[in-house]
Amino acid sequence: MTLSLEATFREEWPRAVGILTRVLGDLSLAEDAVQDAFATALERWPRDGVPRSPGAWIVATARNGAIDRLRREKTFARKAELLARLEGVPADEDADVSSIPDERLALLFTCCHPALAVDARIALTLREVAGLQTPEIARAFLVTEPALAQRLVRAKRRLRETGIPFRVPPDHLLPDRVPDVLRVLYLVFNEGYAATAGESLLRRDLCAEAIRLAKLVCVLMPDEPEAFGLLALLLLQDARREARVGDDGELVLLGDQDRRLWDGASIDEGLRVLRRAESLRRPGPYQLQAAIAAGHAEGAAPHVIAATYAALEQIDPSPIVRLNRAVAVALAGDVEEGLALIEGIEGLDGYSYLPAARADLLRRLDRNAEAAASYREALALTDNAPERRFLERRLRGVGG
Amino acid sequence: MKYALLVYSDQSDWDGISEEQAAERRAESMPRWITLFEEMGKADPDAGGRELVAAAEAKVVRVVDGETVITDGPFAETKEQIGGLFLTTLPDLDEAIRIASLVPAAEYGSMEVRPIVER
Repeated sequence: MTLSLEATFREEWPRAVGILTRVLGDLSLAEDAVQDAFATALERWPRDGVPRSPGAWIVATARNGAIDRLRREKTFARKAELLARLEGVPADEDADVSSIPDERLALLFTCCHPALAVDARIALTLREVAGLQTPEIARAFLVTEPALAQRLVRAKRRLRETGIPFRVPPDHLLPDRVPDVLRVLYLVFNEGYAATAGESLLRRDLCAEAIRLAKLVCVLMPDEPEAFGLLALLLLQDARREARVGDDGELVLLGDQDRRLWDGASIDEGLRVLRRAESLRRPGPYQLQAAIAAGHAEGAAPHVIAATYAALEQIDPSPIVRLNRAVAVALAGDVEEGLALIEGIEGLDGYSYLPAARADLLRRLDRNAEAAASYREALALTDNAPERRFLERRLRGVGG
Repeated sequence: MKYALLVYSDQSDWDGISEEQAAERRAESMPRWITLFEEMGKADPDAGGRELVAAAEAKVVRVVDGETVITDGPFAETKEQIGGLFLTTLPDLDEAIRIASLVPAAEYGSMEVRPIVER
């Protein structure tokens, strides 16, 4: 498939699946119809040229295919009702697809419904909203294709059998549901961001997909500051991608990164998006995390970053945030205070970064024996090769 | 969609308390029950519910090698036992969860929302 055709497919897939799901009331039926239309497109477009309005062509072809398919069904109980509803979908291949209501936001909320398991939400969102193919998603998540296909089938069955609604949630549910959606996008991004240099480009592509989805959410929910906060955070983190891993595959800590490797355009875009979020005057965890990332990008004073972490801890007192704040406090000069904050953290057992951070602060206080013990504790908790090499080097540095 | 809303609670909480105390407890949760029935009635006028006698009074029946074996309940050794159920027809899972959250037992026990298979 040529790049432009692939891009068109990814763009038009969620639009068409959304419209057909609204009409048919069932994601699986809609997907089958759209899949058939794409197969026809793959056959005809290279020969006859891409139609003037690819989106309308796909919707019209999927509609006609679904009508044919339903007519052949003998026993389907809702046949007459669904046929009547399909008749209402525009059949004009040259129509402006924007004249049909955009259902992509409903599709996104449905794919991210809290009644689905988190990995099912991620797979479904990448398949239906990002328009990725099943093999692509399987490779990116390092699972077999049948396993991922099975995950998608189960998720779609659960949508149908438990009555998960296809809609943008009503206002009273939005404060709960918007974070669910943003969380799925952030998990997709992190899955790609954690990929190290040697790993397939597909995994890294997940970052680009997460950013593309976050931009879509911003377009669809232009008054949701946290959507812009998340997009800003993703852009600012993504800007540092090349500087995170050294030539030897070692992790490079923020303070030691070569700033020339940071992507200036991505940082500028992140800062712009963050200003847009802040102009809506409803702070939230993603905006604050983006503000911290922006602080790093702009070389803000360490105490400013520590203060932003304190604000983040106010609304999100999770152990991870408290750990990050403790490190920021230490970096701002108060190492003893940072250490005391780390000692107060509960609920991070088995998380290697906690003893690693504690070890680092002890090292700065020249408490080398205690530092060595903490480095060893961290080493016992991680299998990640670059992280291990980093910890071993530090351990030797304190004479352990 | 049809849903069964199963009510779970720790029935041993009611063991050994006096009639007066039991009546007091019921009276306390009464406003919540009224809200529940109002909301459920609006969402599904045909909704129905039943309270079950304590699980300790249950008989567990199994057929082992063709022989019927009867033991005293409850079936499972968990603290929370099913104490009642509602059968409702509601537009979607979000609404079923909302109605379930209005059942007083959601606060001191838990609710299970189970879609009913329709063939």
